[in-house]
Amino acid sequence: MEGPSPSLAVLRDRPVWPAAGRRQSGGEAETDRDMKKHFRVCRFIMETGVKLGMRSVPVATACALYHRFFQRARLQAYEPYLVAMSCVYLAGKVEEQHTRTRDIINVSHRYFNSGSVTLECDKEFWDLRDSVVQCELLILRQLNFHVSFEHPHKYLLHYLMSVKSLVNRHAWSRTPVAETSWALLRDCYHGAMCIRHTPQHIAIATLHLALDSYGVELPVGEREWWQARCGAEVCVSVCVQVLCVDVTKADIDAVISDLLQLYDMEAKCI
Amino acid sequence: MDRDLLRQCLTYHGESLFNKLKCEQIENPDFQAVVSDLCKATCESKSDGQDSPLVEQFIARKADILFCPTWKTATHKEEEEQQQQEEEEEDAAEPYAIMPPMEIFMEASYEERRTMLYRDLEKGDILVGRINNIREYGFFLTLLCTAGGLRRDIEDLELSALCHIREVPSTGSHDDPLSYYQMGDFIRAAVKDIDRYQEKITVSLQQAALSPGLEHIKLGVFPREELPIHYSRSLRAAADSRETYECILKSCHGYHNPSVVEYLLEKVGVSDTQPPSMMRGLQSKLFHEEDFASAIRKRQSASWALKCVRAGVDHFKHGRHVEAMNEYNKALDIDTTNVEALVARGALYANKGSIMKAITDFELALENCPDHRNANKYLCQTLVERGKQLEEQEKLVTAEGLYRKALSLDESNPEAQEALHKITETIQVSIRLREEAVAKEQEKATSSQTSAEKLRKILKEEKRMKKKRKRSASSNPSSTASSRDSSPSSSSSSSDSSRRRSKKKKKRRKRGRNSASASKSVESRVRHDAPKRNSFDGGRYENRGREEVEEAKGEKDSRKGEDENVPGSGRKSEGAGNHTRQSSLTSVPEGSVKKDLPTNLLDIFNQIAQFKKGKGGGPRK
Repeated sequence: MEGPSPSLAVLRDRPVWPAAGRRQSGGEAETDRDMKKHFRVCRFIMETGVKLGMRSVPVATACALYHRFFQRARLQAYEPYLVAMSCVYLAGKVEEQHTRTRDIINVSHRYFNSGSVTLECDKEFWDLRDSVVQCELLILRQLNFHVSFEHPHKYLLHYLMSVKSLVNRHAWSRTPVAETSWALLRDCYHGAMCIRHTPQHIAIATLHLALDSYGVELPVGEREWWQARCGAEVCVSVCVQVLCVDVTKADIDAVISDLLQLYDMEAKCI
Repeated sequence: MDRDLLRQCLTYHGESLFNKLKCEQIENPDFQAVVSDLCKATCESKSDGQDSPLVEQFIARKADILFCPTWKTATHKEEEEQQQQEEEEEDAAEPYAIMPPMEIFMEASYEERRTMLYRDLEKGDILVGRINNIREYGFFLTLLCTAGGLRRDIEDLELSALCHIREVPSTGSHDDPLSYYQMGDFIRAAVKDIDRYQEKITVSLQQAALSPGLEHIKLGVFPREELPIHYSRSLRAAADSRETYECILKSCHGYHNPSVVEYLLEKVGVSDTQPPSMMRGLQSKLFHEEDFASAIRKRQSASWALKCVRAGVDHFKHGRHVEAMNEYNKALDIDTTNVEALVARGALYANKGSIMKAITDFELALENCPDHRNANKYLCQTLVERGKQLEEQEKLVTAEGLYRKALSLDESNPEAQEALHKITETIQVSIRLREEAVAKEQEKATSSQTSAEKLRKILKEEKRMKKKRKRSASSNPSSTASSRDSSPSSSSSSSDSSRRRSKKKKKRRKRGRNSASASKSVESRVRHDAPKRNSFDGGRYENRGREEVEEAKGEKDSRKGEDENVPGSGRKSEGAGNHTRQSSLTSVPEGSVKKDLPTNLLDIFNQIAQFKKGKGGGPRK
């Protein structure tokens, strides 16, 4: 797997101000190579999050910060792994699960130089630490200090509780819908889709996909504005409509297709 | 692979998924094992191919993760119990948004809801209803909602449940239990029996009918305010169609709980420390323990601390003790249980002379690393040092303990062995000396007793001779008589009084001591009056000179009498007698004080007595 450029402290040579940031738009100009790069960096964030013992929501915030940052910044202008480390640091502060820079640097160092000895308390270490802290400020400014996000996690959990009461308790306990939907939700953050869709839609889509995967059947209902369709699809969709009024099947499909693309990308990248 | 799940999935999706599964999971041995069963399932499938092919592809590819038996982290039973136990507290505290049943929003049909309820309701569940009819054999409830875990909208299903009189706990001893209940009361009851075919529900108010997780919930009448939250919210939702799910969700107090995610995650049984993922690269088994932040930090701290320790040792070798101590302390700040730092600091302490601190450090180091050679060696040496210090302070037993400990750490240490030998000898010597001293005392005691007996004999002789003289002087019979009277009377009185006193003051004393004191008291009696006994002497005797001797004789008699009369409890009464002897020499109140004489004073008396004996009637006290 590629690592960052040889010295992370090289950021000092690069422009601190996001000079070229605004001219580029997000998705269209991104090449496939860029997307793969982002995917790998997000994978780095997720792994680091697990090794640091961070909960799902701070990791999600870190990924969201990363995607938001690179929506406007150019990948060539900034070292993405350094940005990722700073995103992890910043997300810990935002979501009240503080991580120490020392831990972040240790884990990252080991990620790139696996099996190496631990860093000594020397100039290199302090330089790395300085880089992380400075990059954090950079990210804040790039995002205009809007660093709090609404995440789908809360919605998903409440939806799970509601749907749980709809089905037979034994059937529910046999079927790992909760794990699967949570896993799908976490995996969403590998791509920029997490900031492109609303949190409710993402939550519903992951729940829909999880229920689908196990073939769980939910009760049928009717709503006046629902256009009838036939078959098994109806029951799931109606319940889905209930949870979030403005979601349509198309929205759900869009989210799911984005998510499935991410899984395909994993096969390509890693 | 979970066979039942796969079957369920295939029944839902149909043939196309099965084909894709076979294609993708061809290498998976678990899949091959179950594939034959699944063929049947697929044939029964009622799906009409509405699924997106992409989804099916996804399921097929990830089937080994999705249907893995270990994918489900929480077990069924655990989950249910956990969930039901927390139900009551939740209703009050609302750690998350408790939503009304979804059927309300879905506007599910009557039939659908009815079948669902009969399918899912079980014995031991809790139902809430109002009494609509009271008969002599029980009462009927119209069901309003479910409680204690199951959340369904059943009010408009117009279900009715019977609670038989047997199932109603009696409130008084003889009253009709049904009289406690009235029409329209809200009742919380446990489901006792469900007849799904005839669609009849019987409930019970006995706590025993509840399922294990719900036992703490109180059954019976309750006020309107305690209706379950999801029910009251559902009323609100039903009344106002603008209240969407999301609307109600956001208005719930529990939704804004900052730790709602953690709480619910635990409730649904998903772990956040080993989070699930569908990505192949993020499976938890791929993470190594030593890559985690805490493990790296520990190793790093140890390495940094070691650097400081090396610097410190360098300082130490060049005699810069202060800097060395600073380095060691720095190392221990970085890594509090660093073995090398502790050993080095301990050695420095030992050199400086703070033995106790050194020992603490070594012991701490050995706790973490029991095989550390240097730590053991240094600890052994330091213990020997400490032992020597204690020896000088005469704390021989503690010192011996320390030497033994030192030897147990390092058997070959010559110094420790030598020291241990020496000290065991010293202890034995001291024990022997003590034993000898005790023996000597006993000897002296016995010897002093024999000397007391000798004295007695002498006095008896004297008395006899005096009596003879008196008898010979028969010119004064009255005086003789009186003297004889007086003597027996005095003797009797004294003996009475002494016996009385002996009864009052019985105390066990050492034989030797008592005899010694007895002998001493007799001696002092005979010879002179001690200054502090003046008052009493004055009180007791009318005539000093003569009466003294008489008294002495009388005492001798009474003593003899005592000895004769009370041979059995010889020692005790003798002791008592002696004690009274002692006390008689002072006033009675003082006697009680005498009883509490500290033992070292008595020792002093003994020593004096012995000394006097040695001198053969020496100077006065």
